Amino acid sequence: MTSLDVSTDAPRRPFEGRRVRLGDLILQGAAGIAALGALVLVGLIVWKVVQGARLSLSTYGLPFIWHNIWNPVLGHESFGAGSLLYGTVVTSFGALFLATPIALGVALFLSELAPPGIRGPVTALVETLAAIPSVVIGLWGLLVLAPVLRDHVDPALHTGLGFIPLFGPPGSYGSNVLTAIVVLTIMILPIIASISRELFLSVPVELKEGALGLGTTRWEMIRGVVLPYSRGGVAAAIILGFGRAIGEAIAVALVIGAVTQINVNVFNPGYTLAGIIANNYQGASSGIELSSLVYCALILLVFSILVNLFAQFIVRRTNRRLGGRR
Amino acid sequence: MSAADARVLQRPHDRLRRRRLVNRLLELLAWLAALLAVFFLGVVLWSVARRGASALNLDFLLKSQQSFAPPNVEQGLANAFVGTFVIVGLAALMALPFGILIAIYVNEYAPRAIRSVVNLTLDVLAGVPAIVIGIFVFGLIVIAHGQSGYAGAFALAVLMLPFVARATIEVLALVPDSLREAALGVGAPRWRATLGIVLPQTIGGVLTGATLAVARVAGETAPLLFTSSLVATGTQWDPSQPLQTVPVAIFELSESAEPADHARAWAAALVLILFVMFTSLAARWLAARSRRKIARAGR
Amino acid sequence: MPRNGTLVRISLVAAAAALVAVLVSATAGTASARSTSGGVTGAGSTFVAPLVTKWMAPVQQQLGLQLNYNAIGSGGGVSAITNKQVDFGASDAPLSQFNPTCSSCVQIPWALAATGVIYNLGGLPHLHMTGAVLAQIYLGKITKWNAPAIKKLNKGRNLPDKGITVVHRSDSSGTSYNFTDYLSHVNRAWKSRVGTGTAVSWPTGEGEKGSSGVAGAVRTTPGAIGYVDVYYAVHSHLGLFVMKNRSGKFVQPRTKGILAAAQLDTHPAKDGSLSIVNPPKSKKYRNAYPICTYTYVDVQKSAGASARDIKKLLGWAISKGQSYGPALMFVPIPKAVRAFDTKQIKKIHS
Repeated sequence: MTSLDVSTDAPRRPFEGRRVRLGDLILQGAAGIAALGALVLVGLIVWKVVQGARLSLSTYGLPFIWHNIWNPVLGHESFGAGSLLYGTVVTSFGALFLATPIALGVALFLSELAPPGIRGPVTALVETLAAIPSVVIGLWGLLVLAPVLRDHVDPALHTGLGFIPLFGPPGSYGSNVLTAIVVLTIMILPIIASISRELFLSVPVELKEGALGLGTTRWEMIRGVVLPYSRGGVAAAIILGFGRAIGEAIAVALVIGAVTQINVNVFNPGYTLAGIIANNYQGASSGIELSSLVYCALILLVFSILVNLFAQFIVRRTNRRLGGRR
Repeated sequence: MSAADARVLQRPHDRLRRRRLVNRLLELLAWLAALLAVFFLGVVLWSVARRGASALNLDFLLKSQQSFAPPNVEQGLANAFVGTFVIVGLAALMALPFGILIAIYVNEYAPRAIRSVVNLTLDVLAGVPAIVIGIFVFGLIVIAHGQSGYAGAFALAVLMLPFVARATIEVLALVPDSLREAALGVGAPRWRATLGIVLPQTIGGVLTGATLAVARVAGETAPLLFTSSLVATGTQWDPSQPLQTVPVAIFELSESAEPADHARAWAAALVLILFVMFTSLAARWLAARSRRKIARAGR
Repeated sequence: MPRNGTLVRISLVAAAAALVAVLVSATAGTASARSTSGGVTGAGSTFVAPLVTKWMAPVQQQLGLQLNYNAIGSGGGVSAITNKQVDFGASDAPLSQFNPTCSSCVQIPWALAATGVIYNLGGLPHLHMTGAVLAQIYLGKITKWNAPAIKKLNKGRNLPDKGITVVHRSDSSGTSYNFTDYLSHVNRAWKSRVGTGTAVSWPTGEGEKGSSGVAGAVRTTPGAIGYVDVYYAVHSHLGLFVMKNRSGKFVQPRTKGILAAAQLDTHPAKDGSLSIVNPPKSKKYRNAYPICTYTYVDVQKSAGASARDIKKLLGWAISKGQSYGPALMFVPIPKAVRAFDTKQIKKIHS
């Protein structure tokens, strides 16, 4: 799935000037309605989510976004998404930070370095990673990954990097922000890797061979030709992975420890916008809690739309700079 | 030769060695990255297979589910497999015509400005998190009409639509104009040419897009939790009722106190992973075939 | 068209047809095994799920009804019945705990059990605990197993110098309601700072989904403490605290303790709710386990076409159904409560 390039080249018009028949009108009408329908669908989604969030919007307004409180107890209800937004940002950026180098390494491996016999199977395996449903990764993270991280990785990280506040004293929590980051990394790794791989493969062979012919090493060729050529697409792929990480609900809900608190230390439990919706939507005990959860969904929606637009912007800018080569 | 000259001659050599070293190092890192990715996959698959092995037998696939039942009752997850089959099938039936029509509009009719708007809309739609779609469909359908297989299918269709549309757009763009002109040359009306000649060329690509989209949504839990989770036990085919699905079944079974239920959850996970893997591979193979065919047709 | 293309197409269609054929034949068998006389679908509490599932087979045989149940949590059950998406909702928390609530429902206490507090300290079974100390632990004030307050309760036991990892529920849960209700009764700081609810703002600890999540976290974390319904607690093979009741006795969460606590309130309020948490000091409650709870079934008063089946089911559940309870740590409901329930069931009509 690679279509990050918005084809805005000149429309082809081989049918220009033909006589218009009834069948033509019907097809064009139907197709046009379908396209309009897509727009209407997005509008409907925004409308329904805003509608669900209306109670919470009117009660808390904009400050909901940064207030750090989540008290569902009847009579003391008070909601604010501050810790959730923080958790979403930390886990998504953390996953991006870990996944991008690995994904790019995998993509380069599969496009440039792998011997032909290995290329196919490993590509298929990496794509299978994307095929694992989020609930399965969540359960695996909870039962298998979390104890391993808690017992071996967290203390080691604290010993080695403890001067960074991120890696403060590890608690005894298996379900924490770091576990969620690792789970998200595994989930977005194949997305970034497969898109980047196709981008690297589409670099014209002549450019690559030209560089090699000048005596560059393979890495220098990659650095000087492949990466700059696919820079826009790779950036967009990374941003797409980021968007996926933001919206992941089930897997995160199972492993992040579900605590609405802001804590720099990643060894502590946390919570995300998507995670709290997954855990509490079905059982919300008050209308204001339900509406606050939809408010969280609204924040998520706006966030993901902005991320998407940003990705498109990046692609368009780099395509323009590359002088309409694609 | 003086010592200075020797050193000057030595420098390019050192640089070359260093460049080769850096190259080696980064190649090694790339290999490590690939190994890491495969390692993760292997660990997850191994965990799932090990825990689900005890429950994987023919009964599992064919007998229906009773949650929280005593452990010695024969049961399987047939209702979940059937439900996933029905709901995903319905979703594909909803998304495919819609997506193909959008692609036809974008590629054959739309002026440039509208084309970018529609493309943008599709990208935005693709970025909406599945759980937000779940809340959307809950508000749109479930509140008024209750849960149903149709509501679940609709939610999955919304998730599938951008994939199908974009894949079809890509493949339609690949069909050379010479084909369209040839159709006109024999006097075909535009709609006939588009539907009867251009579109069939893209079947492979469309199937690929559809298969990938199916693979993507077969494992989605979040939208189904809100739209099709209050189910009756026993196998149901009727989409006007909520149907059990594999991801939701996994979710529920993992909450149970019985280890036999947990084993069933893992076995279902294994079947789901294998299914999605198989469909993705099939999609890739179809894509390669379709590309070859179009390249041949264009020549 | 190249020959192999047609072949591929045919084989794909054949494979799809074969798959459909297998599925239909496989499920036709199970479909016909279903009762033809209708079904009753419910959703809600995971607490009562083992009991309801145990009922499915006898209900089928004795009443000819198919009973379906989705354990999505008490909150989910209440919202499902409020929105009329199911025939009955099961919740461990009374309807008054939800806002908006199902004002057109009858609330019927139909089972009686307890919440156990589990912990992971190998080799130290049956440790003693009090509500006050438990509240301090869950408030984050007591953080080590060898804290003086805990040592005092367990003289002679070798409590390690280990941190206590607090585990609680992340989802809306009737078990949480029971547990926080108890803590609010025994600790004023808890009551004012946190309060009672199916979901609260926990001062410390990590949240896990479902009782199985809590049990799983406690099982894999040495030094962890958590609360789950007593069936889970006993089956988890983890340490289970012996709680001190107000009469001064340390009681295990067993049938005897639950029966004694149930005596505290046998006359449901008008809305059907009962509170049997933390019975007061008295000879009558000497053997009472302090964290017991009723669990309720909520049904719409105008239940439509399934009204007759629902009434049949509930009538059976509060009488014959109770005999299936003890094996699952559910104690049969007292006669006075059953009488009240019968009156409530009469209020259901189509």
